[in-house]
Amino acid sequence: MPGKSKQKSNQIKFLTGLILGIIGFCLPLFFTFNGLSYAGHIALGIFLMAAVFWMFETIPIYSTSMLVIFLQVVLLSQQGVVFSDASLPTTTAKQHTSDSWLVPAEAVDGEKIYVANDSRNYTAIDVKILNRADWVEIRSNELQSDAKIVSNANHKLVGYKPVSFSLFFGTLASPIIILFLGGFMLAGAAVKYNLDKNLTSVLLKPFGTKPNFIILGLMVVTATLSAFMSNTATTAMMMTVAIPIVAQVAREDKFRIILALCIPIAANIGGMATPIGTPPNAIAIANLGQQGINIEFGTWVVMMLPLVILLLLLAWFTMRFLFPTNLREFKLSLKVDFNKSRPAIILYLLFAATVLLWFTESAHGIPSSMVAFLPIAGLTVTGVMKQEDIRSLPWEVLWLVAGGIALGISMENTGLAMWLVASISWDALPQVVLIGVFGLVALNLSNFLSNTVTATLLIPLAVSMGTSGIAGEGFSLVISSLAIAAACNMAMLLPISTPPNAIAMSTGFIKTPDMVKVGIVIGLIGIVATLALSQLYWPFIIN
Amino acid sequence: MSDIYIICVEDEAQVLDVVIRDLEQLEEFFPIEGAASASDARKLINEIKEEGNRIGLILCDHIMPGDKGVDLLIEMQKDEFTHSTRKILLTGQAGLDDTIQAVNKARLNQYVSKPWKKEELLQIVIDELTDYVIETEDELLPYLSVLNQEKLQEAIRAKGFI
Repeated sequence: MPGKSKQKSNQIKFLTGLILGIIGFCLPLFFTFNGLSYAGHIALGIFLMAAVFWMFETIPIYSTSMLVIFLQVVLLSQQGVVFSDASLPTTTAKQHTSDSWLVPAEAVDGEKIYVANDSRNYTAIDVKILNRADWVEIRSNELQSDAKIVSNANHKLVGYKPVSFSLFFGTLASPIIILFLGGFMLAGAAVKYNLDKNLTSVLLKPFGTKPNFIILGLMVVTATLSAFMSNTATTAMMMTVAIPIVAQVAREDKFRIILALCIPIAANIGGMATPIGTPPNAIAIANLGQQGINIEFGTWVVMMLPLVILLLLLAWFTMRFLFPTNLREFKLSLKVDFNKSRPAIILYLLFAATVLLWFTESAHGIPSSMVAFLPIAGLTVTGVMKQEDIRSLPWEVLWLVAGGIALGISMENTGLAMWLVASISWDALPQVVLIGVFGLVALNLSNFLSNTVTATLLIPLAVSMGTSGIAGEGFSLVISSLAIAAACNMAMLLPISTPPNAIAMSTGFIKTPDMVKVGIVIGLIGIVATLALSQLYWPFIIN
Repeated sequence: MSDIYIICVEDEAQVLDVVIRDLEQLEEFFPIEGAASASDARKLINEIKEEGNRIGLILCDHIMPGDKGVDLLIEMQKDEFTHSTRKILLTGQAGLDDTIQAVNKARLNQYVSKPWKKEELLQIVIDELTDYVIETEDELLPYLSVLNQEKLQEAIRAKGFI
């Protein structure tokens, strides 16, 4: 179907991405950046390559994630080709006078030298430089006469302690991935037994027959479902509800636009509501988890719900204003036909139990990812989800997130993230401005890139700004990570911004400018609202 | 991405014109080609195959000079290239035996008797093409605005991704 010119432009895009990606990967091999460890250079190469491949979609985004993990295992793990037989080069410091020593010039790093504990570990000690020559005279009272010092401060083992390859592989089974898997199992079973459709019919009934309230109903239901199911599947399902309504509307009535537009918008917004709503949430939680910060399922919901409700209402009013209708009433044929077979009943019970346990974590203390294994085990043990159902789960999303988490690990522990943000004196800026900057960057990037990819690229930077202290006092890791995740989810300007937008655009009921108008309002007001919450509301929840 | 063709086989030129005109709103997405006999159709199928394109649907008359329509459909069912092509018999004169053959051996998808109504034919063709793209395509979005949208959305929901 696409013409030859489109094929050609796709080819150019593919080649540009491929070449830029390879250049990005090789760049740190040929240039040495001051203040960045050897491993940081490797991580930078992987980061640049992944960023380019993710932006240009040279290869599918999940395969970029797989490539990231592969390269990390080969190049950055303790067992990989670079670090497997690495050992620190050492020499003995020569005692010069009673309290000064001579060490090789390469052994000195600023005002520090490194004392080797064994072939891989070292301790940094501060020294006072007395005289610089081929051998540097230093003074230190920590140095002992038989101490082995690292003779090359730029060695690959300095500034990076190689981690086991299993840490990178392990991201695929990290708690947040298991939490998602639990969500996928529930959603998959819900689709199989039409629980999503029946819930929709039940929930839509109270909204009556007035057009504007039907729209509000569609939005509330879509947002609720997409908080637990994939935004894409929810949008497609709700479209099957909306299409018969569209057929009742005259071709020129703008109500058709609202009908097709309200669903993807609500699906995008609804994804923010729970940790399992969309993958960017997972990236935020995983990055916080690595800093030892655990966000409970219920806490996330309590923090995000006001934003979700506000944006839904905002979108509803905006669309009513932009696309007024003369219609007075509608017929909705809502069939409620709950499946009453044994597997369906088991699903309902497990679904209810899981969600209940997720929301009551503070009472029983069982982490949400452990609860998530209840539907994973429960639905397979009882045969509700069979082999082919398990195969059809969106595994590539888990790989995408796992690759993102793995990249975040390397950005942190090679010092790359620190190095990237350290060049600017951030602490001059108030926290709210910092979050605002991150939010706007996230919103802009995410309108063109996958939301998950944007979160993957930005959240590690924010976290390392917090942990390193360069963001100044009072910079909260939780608030900044959540704000970025929220901003990623608010990007819904264009058909390419999110899969639900692409679905809505393909229906042929709306045009890009319609989407852009609503998208701008939600994006801008959304960022402002996020900033307000981050200052006035979130701090009270996390303390 | 290759094109998905609709081919119409009909020996009477006027009738063939009407069929093609009835389907013309699909032409933008699914190129339509006509053939006057089974042997013409075979040539056409080979050309489409050699250009790397596919055949999504065939509308075929039965009584024609040379090989009969049902024979052509059975042949297509056996050939890997046209196995998943949706097969519609558009005829006034296929006897019971021929029709049984078509159903059993060619896995006939639809039987439309002449004369037909434009809306009905169009709806049948759209539904069959929808099934074809759901079965064979990874990317369903380009078809949302032209084929059966409800069925396509349902397929996207079941897959959980696009």
